[in-house]
Amino acid sequence: MSTLRKKIVLKLRTKFFVGDSLIILISLIFIVFAFKAFWHFETGSVVQVNFQGNTYGNFSLFQDKKISLIGKEGESIIEIKEGRARFKSAPCKNQYCVQQGWIHFTGQMLICIPNEVSIEILGKSKAYDSLNY
Amino acid sequence: MTRSTIKIKTTLLDHQIAQLSAIAIGLSLMESVLPSPMPGVKPGIANIITLYAIYQFNFKTAMWVSVLRVFATSLILGQFLSPAFMLSLIGSMLSLLTLYFVIKLPSKFFSPIGLSVLSSFAHITGQLILVRIWLIPHASIYYLIPIYSLAALLFGFINGWITYRLLKHHNSI
Repeated sequence: MSTLRKKIVLKLRTKFFVGDSLIILISLIFIVFAFKAFWHFETGSVVQVNFQGNTYGNFSLFQDKKISLIGKEGESIIEIKEGRARFKSAPCKNQYCVQQGWIHFTGQMLICIPNEVSIEILGKSKAYDSLNY
Repeated sequence: MTRSTIKIKTTLLDHQIAQLSAIAIGLSLMESVLPSPMPGVKPGIANIITLYAIYQFNFKTAMWVSVLRVFATSLILGQFLSPAFMLSLIGSMLSLLTLYFVIKLPSKFFSPIGLSVLSSFAHITGQLILVRIWLIPHASIYYLIPIYSLAALLFGFINGWITYRLLKHHNSI
């Protein structure tokens, strides 16, 4: 049994090719480079708060701040802390915005539709707008 | 009324092309029913036949096999002239173009494995360019480059290895 397996393993062994190894190595380097180049996420510096269809204001992420907004449903509290932002509490039933937790990369967004509040992280350059696209 | 029969004279090369194409079409069809984690991430096992043809016969045979496979598979699947067909066509064409050049590399250093990796990279490059300029003219598809490259390397390697084994089995390397 084990000799048979050994035979199979031996039979499947492939010769070493310098060129192939070079191609594979270059491909791997390219893939690592591609992941770094295209999958970099920029940490944002500003959070934009939109309320009832208008921009309520832009707030720096480098501060500790709580923003309270009274909408149709009730009070939404946005918390900014340590370069991140989140919905601390929301008056809606589903609590989707609260459960998504903290955001801090540019382009990330939290939306509370019932209370018409949304927050978006902005950076130096605007990230791809996946919502509108 | 006399019955006329049209007889097409076929050469040995025609038969070889037909046989290889049939296998390639079969593999393509088998692959088309496999579920894919992402649109476009496919093993591309039909490329084994193209590679095999270029080693065992010549570039012309490989080109015929590849072109016939793309057209026949799209006709069978009802995708002829659809975006899927266009992507498949441009991928195969660039793949063939790459093979045309890299087959000239010294076989002492380069095996079908390396060539397969290169050709699958060419395949995905063509497809991404077409997607970028025609289907999704938006920079966000650059996010997909790392994933597709990884798939190209992985499947290119596996296909190349299978081709290598096949050729070795037929004592052509």
